[in-house]
This record gives sequence, C-alpha cells and structure tokens, in this order.
Amino acid sequence: MSEPIPPPAPGAAGEDPDDAIAVALSDYLDGALPAAARAEVERKIAGDPAWQRAHAELTETREVLSGLRKAAAPSSFADGVATAIHRRSAGRFFARRALGDRVPFGVVLALALAGIAVIAYVLWSSPTGSLKVDRETAAPHGSAAIAPP
Amino acid sequence: MSELERTLLRRLRDRDERAFRELIESHRDRVYNLTYRMLGSRSEAEDLAQEVFITVFKTIETFREESKFSTWLYRVTVNHCKNRIKYLARRHDRERDELDETSRETNGAAGAPRRHVPPDRALEGAQLEQLLQDAIAKLDDDHRVVVVLRDVEDLSIEEICEITGLPDGTVKSRLHRARLALRKRLQRHV
Repeated sequence: MSEPIPPPAPGAAGEDPDDAIAVALSDYLDGALPAAARAEVERKIAGDPAWQRAHAELTETREVLSGLRKAAAPSSFADGVATAIHRRSAGRFFARRALGDRVPFGVVLALALAGIAVIAYVLWSSPTGSLKVDRETAAPHGSAAIAPP
Repeated sequence: MSELERTLLRRLRDRDERAFRELIESHRDRVYNLTYRMLGSRSEAEDLAQEVFITVFKTIETFREESKFSTWLYRVTVNHCKNRIKYLARRHDRERDELDETSRETNGAAGAPRRHVPPDRALEGAQLEQLLQDAIAKLDDDHRVVVVLRDVEDLSIEEICEITGLPDGTVKSRLHRARLALRKRLQRHV
C-alpha cells in the first residue's frame, strides 16, 4: 500500500545532491534556520540555478499541499457518533429522553405555574368567566333572611 | 488553556452529553480532514473520525491538561490513523493474495490491473488534488503523518513533536524526505 522512503546516506540527505539542497530548503521554508544559515540559503537561491529550481519546486509542493481543500465531515456526523456510543454503552449514554429528562424540573414547574396564572387571569377578566363573583345573584340570599320585622 | 475550554472539559468528565456534542461540532471537521488526508477514502475517514470521538468520550479522564486539548485530540487521531493504515494494508495484502490466486486459477496469469497514469500535462483542480492524494497515500505512514500535519494542517514543528512524541530532528528529517518524495512524484505529472 505504501512505499518506504529509503533513509538518507550518513552525513547527507541522500545520494542525489538535489536532496541535500532540498533538506536545507525545507528547513529554510519552515523557518528553522538560524540567521546566518538563512542568509546563506538566500544567497544560494539568488545565485545558483539548481537552488532556484529546487526552491521553486519545493515552494510549489508546499503550496499545493496547503491548498488542498479542507474536507468537511457530513452533517449527520455528530448523530452518528451519538448513536454508536448509545449502542456500545447498551443504552447508558445518548438515549432518547422524555421532556422531563431533557428540561430541568424547575423550568417545567415555572412554565406550568405561568400557564395556570394566564388561564386564571383570562377567566377572571372575562365578563362570563367562571371565577368572577356574581354580586347581584349572591347578595339577596343572605340579606332576605335577616330582614327586620 | 482558556476558561471556556476548562469548563467544557469538566462537563465532558461529568459525561455531559450536550458538552460532548459541542466538542464534536467544534472539532469534527479538523479530525475528519486529517483522517481523510491520511486514509484517502471518505467512508474510511468518516468511520475513523467517529472512532476518534468515541475514544475521546471513553478516555477523557486520561487527558491530564499537560498539553492543549487539540494536541491531545490530534494524538488520538494520529494513533487511530496509523492503526487503521496497518489494518487496511494487511487487508489489502490478503485481498490481493486472494485475487492473485483467483487470477492464476482462471486465466493462468497473476497481477491486479495497474492504475492508469494520466499523460504528462498541466493538471488542475480535482485532478491535481487526486494526484496529490495518491502521492500522499504512497508515503509510508510515518512520513505521511508529519507532512499532513505540517503542510496540510499547518501545525508547527513543536506541535508535531508533541503529537507524535518524536524528537525535533526526527520530525524534520521525515518532513524533508516526505516533501522530497512528493516533489519527485509530482514532477512526473505536473
């Protein structure tokens, strides 16, 4: 599947003299050279066609690599991970849950109380609402019973 | 490490599923891109990236905060990639042996069909990307890791040393040789 890259010969990057240039240029492009060595490489690039060519090729290789499109994970990726964990944990994690499990109890209680308050207010403010006290029909029952002789 | 990251880690250690989803959302493309460039197949990359996050979920307690979380995540990803490459290579060899066996039995000739190499000409876009992906895939995994982390993911040499656990000199020499191999391979086509 893969081809092993032969190790460099001792003291050099390989038998090909171009390899030695590539090693220096690779360090140069990575910003890994001290100032003096950097200046030396720049001098060689400016004056030596072999170095110029190698520099252009290596720069191009790096640019092509860094220009590779960033592959994005599919949109269903997170669900896939959650499903796999759910399956492997025998349902311990990432299970589908009821509303009460997903929303904190305090929030559910507050929403329920607010709902009751709204319904009570609507009933109270309505002219025919069942919570409204009907004064006209309620008053005569008591007053008639204690009427003075 | 930022306070936000610390909080997220604390929630992850508490097995907070919502925190885990947040983690996946913020790192999934980075992990997927690395697995894709390492393996060269979208389906293998997706499967492996999922395995990476499952490992993170299972082993988050082992993250000691001695490095950045992203470095640790890259380390987990790289280890998974190397294992998968070895597994795929073994499977490939086995399948090729079986194919050779079948070939010999049916045709009396051995060997899988060779991939057609496009003629020398200027390559662009998808063609160049495919060519490059093939060239990366032909590197051995030790060299592939460093060149993908450095030149595709744009990580520093120091970060690559932390991720791979290799000394500075080894990372640099592998990087030189990988670039050289890629350059030579691309020279034949571009």
